[in-house]
Amino acid sequence: MIRKTCDVVIVGSGFAGLSAADILAERGLRVLLLDENLHLGGQLLRSPPWSGKRSSAGGIMGYGFRLIGRIKSQPIEVLNRTNVLDIDERGMLLVEREERMISVASKMLLLATGARERFMPFKGWTLPGVISTGAAQILMKSYGVLPSKRMLIAGIGPLLLAVAGEFLKNGGRLLSVLDMGGAREKFLLLTRGIQQFSKVTEGIVESAQVFLARVPYHLRTMVVEARGGPGLSAVVAAKIGKDGSLLKGTEMIYRTDSLALGHGFVPNIELAQLAGCAIDHDGGKGGWVVRVGEDLQTSEDRVFAAGEITGIGGALKSMDEGRLAAFGILNKLGREVDPKRLIHLKRQRNRHLRFGILFNNLHRMPDQAFLSIPGEVTICRCEDVKMADVTRAVKDGYDTPAALKRALRIGMGNCQGRICAPLVYDILSALKKTTAKEFPPFSVRSPVKPVAIRSFLS
Amino acid sequence: MTQDLRIPSISRGPKIKVFVNGQGLVAYHGETVLAALIAAGRRVLRKSRIDGENRGPLCGMGVCYECLVSVNGSPNRRACMTDVEDHMEIGIDDSEDM
Amino acid sequence: MIVIGGGVIGASVAYYLSKKKIGVLLLERSDFASGTSGACDGMIFMQSKKPGLHLALALKSRRIFEDLPEKLGSDIELRRNGGMIIFRSDLELKAMAPFMEEQKRGNLGVSLLDLHQARELEPCLGPNIAAATFCPLDAQVNPLCLTYAFLKAAKRHGAKLFARTPVTGFHVKGNRIYAVVTPQNVVATRSVVNAAGVFASQVGDLLSLTIPVAPRRGQLLVTEVLPPILTRCLLSARYIAAKYDPALAEGQNPGFSIEQTGNGNFLLGSTREFVGFDKRTTRDAIRTILMEVTPILPRLKEAHLIRTFAGLRPYTPDGLPILGKVSTPEGFIMAAGHEGDGIALSPITGQLIAELIADGKTSISLEPFSLERFIPKEPS
Ligand SMILES: Cc1cc2nc3c(=O)[nH]c(=O)nc-3n(C[C@H](O)[C@H](O)[C@H](O)COP(=O)(O)OP(=O)(O)OC[C@H]3O[C@@H](n4cnc5c(N)ncnc54)[C@H](O)[C@@H]3O)c2cc1C
Ligand SMILES: Cc1cc2nc3c(=O)[nH]c(=O)nc-3n(C[C@H](O)[C@H](O)[C@H](O)COP(=O)(O)OP(=O)(O)OC[C@H]3O[C@@H](n4cnc5c(N)ncnc54)[C@H](O)[C@@H]3O)c2cc1C
Repeated sequence: MIRKTCDVVIVGSGFAGLSAADILAERGLRVLLLDENLHLGGQLLRSPPWSGKRSSAGGIMGYGFRLIGRIKSQPIEVLNRTNVLDIDERGMLLVEREERMISVASKMLLLATGARERFMPFKGWTLPGVISTGAAQILMKSYGVLPSKRMLIAGIGPLLLAVAGEFLKNGGRLLSVLDMGGAREKFLLLTRGIQQFSKVTEGIVESAQVFLARVPYHLRTMVVEARGGPGLSAVVAAKIGKDGSLLKGTEMIYRTDSLALGHGFVPNIELAQLAGCAIDHDGGKGGWVVRVGEDLQTSEDRVFAAGEITGIGGALKSMDEGRLAAFGILNKLGREVDPKRLIHLKRQRNRHLRFGILFNNLHRMPDQAFLSIPGEVTICRCEDVKMADVTRAVKDGYDTPAALKRALRIGMGNCQGRICAPLVYDILSALKKTTAKEFPPFSVRSPVKPVAIRSFLS
Repeated sequence: MTQDLRIPSISRGPKIKVFVNGQGLVAYHGETVLAALIAAGRRVLRKSRIDGENRGPLCGMGVCYECLVSVNGSPNRRACMTDVEDHMEIGIDDSEDM
Repeated sequence: MIVIGGGVIGASVAYYLSKKKIGVLLLERSDFASGTSGACDGMIFMQSKKPGLHLALALKSRRIFEDLPEKLGSDIELRRNGGMIIFRSDLELKAMAPFMEEQKRGNLGVSLLDLHQARELEPCLGPNIAAATFCPLDAQVNPLCLTYAFLKAAKRHGAKLFARTPVTGFHVKGNRIYAVVTPQNVVATRSVVNAAGVFASQVGDLLSLTIPVAPRRGQLLVTEVLPPILTRCLLSARYIAAKYDPALAEGQNPGFSIEQTGNGNFLLGSTREFVGFDKRTTRDAIRTILMEVTPILPRLKEAHLIRTFAGLRPYTPDGLPILGKVSTPEGFIMAAGHEGDGIALSPITGQLIAELIADGKTSISLEPFSLERFIPKEPS
């Protein structure tokens, strides 16, 4: 086992982790930046490794890429392809890299593990060819590969448009964009959130809209079935009412071998849970989130959290929280911090938080949508658990996430519940007519991600 | 059916060759196994364990473990988190085999 | 009748009682199978039992398992493939010889295999073992399925099961229990079965009874699903020795257990630690277990670890469970303290307790299992 020590370890190199690392290193602290990803930048700052386009980007993206450049020139130790597996009671990290274990001791820990995507399942959503909007974006932005020549995009939220813009820009044939949201949501976001929103998606929205003039864009529409075999060949969609129920007779069929799907984001709180940080359930923040104070400290003394894991709110929130967390850490280590800067950042953060709440509440799926998932639909993809299994088990009294896990193996597979857990919470609360707050989430155990056994042996 | 879904305007790393179930496939340094497979139109990667359903990539970012392939004989590697290397042997369970 | 605890033991007791047409109320303070029965292996191992009383009990239980799936009407993932004990060195073989001699008299049909013979049975075994013993009676189940199957069958026979219902006190009049207290209710009853596993002593405290059950932690590692490569459960000779010799358990290397579950995951274990009610796993233990098991099954080096967890074995000082009535108060019956054998011993435990309550007598004497055995005898 390799041992490392430093002043601050940062897990996650998205906007939050990068912003914090930049400030901390500038103040002379020894920073170790860890990310499982192959490249720095998290979910948003992506560009093909051999392309020079990053430098030319403007706005927040350009800022982000310049930030990456700065990080690389600072004396920061950066480790990509590095999986943080565990945090023990002394705050020591267990880290795997290239099938070797590293143990990291530090004075302070910053968790900036970001978010993953959320999905609303339907019949056939497991067919190859149904990919996430994030996957489509990553393929295009990081690797310059189209998911397919023809594509359909469906789900809810602004990522649909970002992906649409990217796909069209690169010569893809976009059949349609199907958005579960309605015009009211769009209007509210565009008027109240315009400031945040336009910056965040960086003109992608505008360019998408230009293109979208020619692409059918359906509101209050959702996918009801994906068909095909072995891969996707057709998608059936239909209109939904305000409560999420399907409107009969509105079905449309699309012939396509590719469907990009996304229904918002879920914070990656698993590592924080292992570290013992308190978590809260807040629909306005996107579900279970890590509890932090104004200085971004968690309930644990030397552990800070920033970015999407404290609540879904977009890149600007992640950036400012990264900065605030850096100042929180500096303060904790007895360093001086400019109070004016703090006040300014806190004010900005509050604005981002308000936007986040608006955003998340507008993109929340109605209970009815979960209750009308047909019995044959796969909920847990790792263990092939169906909706009917879940409803039956709940009826038999296995009506908590933990009980369902034991009874059905739901969430016990390789992804450790990362895909199905948010669904299970939503289905449970819809079935029990309560909020997900009532059910403790799946327990988290070391290692937070599968790890090669070989890594322990070297 | 051979296709190349790579966006032409994007500059790439050196060209290399990988093998998918023994068949040669062009890839570029800097790509992941998943990017190389998708670029060639391969999307069926494995069967689900219990129901034997066909599965392909979902999240593309290392979370869902749907894109598991074998790499140089070593099973259950996430295609989306593995870089291609010259002469890499990739094994998939593809009933759409071309 | 009230049964306290919805683990495998409480579930079995509830099943056999309700089968005898006795009205049962089972109270579980958390979720069913959320205690030790949800954090353990599922081996029904005969070879590991101490010859004598312990083995006799286990053999009886093993016989019940034969048609248990049909009786319960559920799949419990019972696999009757036998089990192996692995000896890493001749020294280990020598140390275990007396144990095995005694076992022979128990008619277990254990055979001693050399490396070559062992690998014929289990081709994926590595070359680093000295010898193995094989017993065809050893078997395995899925402990969660088993617990749920008992509960489901009990419910079918009329038992009432309540999750999230802790027992917080008793009403005793004279020398007799007449009610059980929960936060919601006071439930009148004439008898109570304490099947609270590792918490049996806390339940005893409510009656000022000293019940010497202590938590003994065992850590387990779970791999991703692998193709079926191991048909039998494997235990190391050291693991068994460690049960009876605490010095071995506390040492660097407590031995190992390996099973491939019906689902295909490997369960790799384990430790035997006295650390109170701490259910965390430790890096040292994970590494030690992996260092132990990979030479035995080299194929595991290619696999991924997906989860670790720990369970608390309900340990008793002499390794035997505590079963039957206590002398005082009347109406209080013990069914706890099965340490590392509760899954294997669950059917016989349920059956004996049901016999005791319904018939007033049992097919095996419960005297050696009584709580009183731990009370120092007054010199006469
Ligand atoms: C798929 C996807 C696409 C998105 N696309 C857009 C978009 O187009 N426009 C937009 O405005 N916003 C988008 N977002 C939202 C965007 O992520 C946020 O706005 C912001 O960039 C998040 O920054 P962050 O630093 O909080 O987290 P992230 O950028 O998510 O970074 C978190 C990092 O932590 C790493 N990590 C997590 N766990 C571990 C671990 N255990 N060990 C090691 N590393 C770990 C991850 O690999 C990741 O790189 C997207 C989000 C997702 C999930
Ligand atoms: C790592 C490990 C491996 C093992 N491997 C095996 C094996 O291979 N084979 C085998 O046979 N055995 C094995 N065991 C042992 C076996 O798991 C236990 O002996 C068995 O599960 C004990 O069952 P139980 O019902 O007594 O306890 P539990 O399952 O703990 O059930 C007791 C229940 O009582 C409840 N309770 C407690 N207090 C109260 C109260 N006041 N009111 C209401 N409810 C209460 C608890 O919540 C709990 O659910 C293993 C154990 C471990 C830890």
